[in-house]
Amino acid sequence: MSKRGIISKFFSYLFLIIAAVVFLSPIFIVLMNSFKSKFHISDSPFTLPDEKTFEGFRNYTQGVAKTGFFSAFGWSLFITVFSVAAIVFFTSMTAWYITRRKTKFTQILYYAFVFSMIVPFQMVMFTLTKTANILSLDNPVGLIIIYLGFGAGLSVFMFSGFVKSIPIEIEEAAMIDGCNPVQTYFRIVFPILKPTAITVAILNAMWVWNDYLLPYLLIGSEYKTIPIAVQYLKGGYGSVDMGAMMAMLVLAIVPIVIFYLTSQKYIIKGVAAGAVKG
Amino acid sequence: MSSITLKNISKIYSDGTIAVNDVNLQIENKEFIILVGPSGCGKSTTLRMIAGLEQISKGEMKIGDRVVNEIEPKDRNIAMVFQSYALYPHMTVYKNMAFGLELRKIPKNEIDKRVREAAKILDIEHLLKRKPKALSGGQRQRVALGRAMVRSPDVFLLDEPLSNLDAKLRTAMRTEIIKLHKRLETTFVYVTHDQTEAMTMGDRIVVMKDGIVQQVDTPKNLYNSPCNLFVAGFIGSPGMNFIPCEFDSKNKVRINGSTITITQKEQLEALIKDGGDNLTLGIRPEDITVDSEYIKKHPDSVFEAQVDVVEPLGSETFLYLDFFGTRIIARVSPDVTFTQGEIVKLGINTEKLHIFDTSSGENILTLN
Repeated sequence: MSKRGIISKFFSYLFLIIAAVVFLSPIFIVLMNSFKSKFHISDSPFTLPDEKTFEGFRNYTQGVAKTGFFSAFGWSLFITVFSVAAIVFFTSMTAWYITRRKTKFTQILYYAFVFSMIVPFQMVMFTLTKTANILSLDNPVGLIIIYLGFGAGLSVFMFSGFVKSIPIEIEEAAMIDGCNPVQTYFRIVFPILKPTAITVAILNAMWVWNDYLLPYLLIGSEYKTIPIAVQYLKGGYGSVDMGAMMAMLVLAIVPIVIFYLTSQKYIIKGVAAGAVKG
Repeated sequence: MSSITLKNISKIYSDGTIAVNDVNLQIENKEFIILVGPSGCGKSTTLRMIAGLEQISKGEMKIGDRVVNEIEPKDRNIAMVFQSYALYPHMTVYKNMAFGLELRKIPKNEIDKRVREAAKILDIEHLLKRKPKALSGGQRQRVALGRAMVRSPDVFLLDEPLSNLDAKLRTAMRTEIIKLHKRLETTFVYVTHDQTEAMTMGDRIVVMKDGIVQQVDTPKNLYNSPCNLFVAGFIGSPGMNFIPCEFDSKNKVRINGSTITITQKEQLEALIKDGGDNLTLGIRPEDITVDSEYIKKHPDSVFEAQVDVVEPLGSETFLYLDFFGTRIIARVSPDVTFTQGEIVKLGINTEKLHIFDTSSGENILTLN
């Protein structure tokens, strides 16, 4: 390798290491502080726990008890799993239909989905909350339907890009082999869409799992998801049990990090597959 | 019984484009028929209508005795091999081949037997556990053929199946498909734009242009007696030479002041009634010679032309010549050497001429 090559490699590694430190340090700080007592967190938030400050798992047990963590975890899991499943299932079918059926209607539908991607949530949140109340969607199942609506734009866009890259002959071969449209979708199209489906699932799972505002507005008082439960650790006059909060934050991010790590290899595959053609 | 009947078949798209226009064709049981023509001539659309992948706008289509216009592709008992192979990428070779049979609820042991038999014939037994992405182009093509074979269909439809292969593999697969047809004894309908494939593989060839069938005949008849200028130019490699000419008198045709004597003068006189001043003479490259013996013996049919390009191919040489402003090609012996710009004497075999009406393109006289 030439001298110039070595220097450029050195700087690119240096940049990546700095970026990794910047992105990982908040998680590390939260993890570190979750084992310290709440008084020591505010005194020395950036030091490792020592024999004086180490609290063991006390913050965790306190946090779990104070927040009703397991109930919140259950609701978060229920809403995330079913929202993501609904998004992947319905939007992949929609994308297949609007890509294969070239009519004015499907074109308008496609642009409506793309347009919905650029509308910020804050713009519609009050009208949406009101409409959800009127339609009795202010419950966990209703929330799943609303997440399906909000997630559809990006997901249809991503699936459409990938469907375009599937040769139509594969579907025609399936028709000749004996598939009806439903069989063609489930036995041929969806398995081919798997990398994109996993990418869509990861992106939506991270969003739904971490979302605070929508569940807070719609179901916050009755059904607490993890982000809502955690913020209940804030006491009166601005006092916050930082130790318990840090512990709960660790517990909140663990499932989504595991999900991400197990399926991250598909993200690049899925994004690239959709992006090359279409 | 797997004959195919196309009666006044047309395909008209919603924007008014006519892709296939009033095609009438009778494909016999066990026949190997080739649909050939340039891009956009309607050959693939015709095949897709037989498959049921395109709606028929007008006319009636029968497979055997059954009208299939409204019958779904899966119920036509046909199998199709696509240009892009169209293998299912998420399935192994075995699964790809077995899929159609599974959908038809064939017992598992029967599926296994059929898949292994087909794999043995196509020499892909060792590939059964692989996925399509791990196969070469030729292997994929074999799998696509295997997928079609296991179904034991009434009709095989092949849409330019060799066009994605390199020249050597294409020649090898061509022979394989011919053998397969002999072995399976089923009706084959094969689409190609490659006239070498058409000439070497088919029992009969259907030449199409602009959605219209130009001629249906055996390869030999198409080559020797093309019905019009298009077929004459399309069939044969290199294609037939076309030279503008005029009817001179009785048994002579005039080309730029010189004349060729046509031996079968009665035919010529009978066919060219109205003066015949707008004719095209067609001659195959192999019917033009530079042999001095022939030229001495036939002084009535000798012309001069200037050598433009010499293409030595080893077994033969193509001479590209400037013949009174018209580019013509002669297929000559590789032993004769020529240089660019040289004026050569050409002998034209007057017993192998074709005369076409230039305006209609129709063949009005074939001498064989």
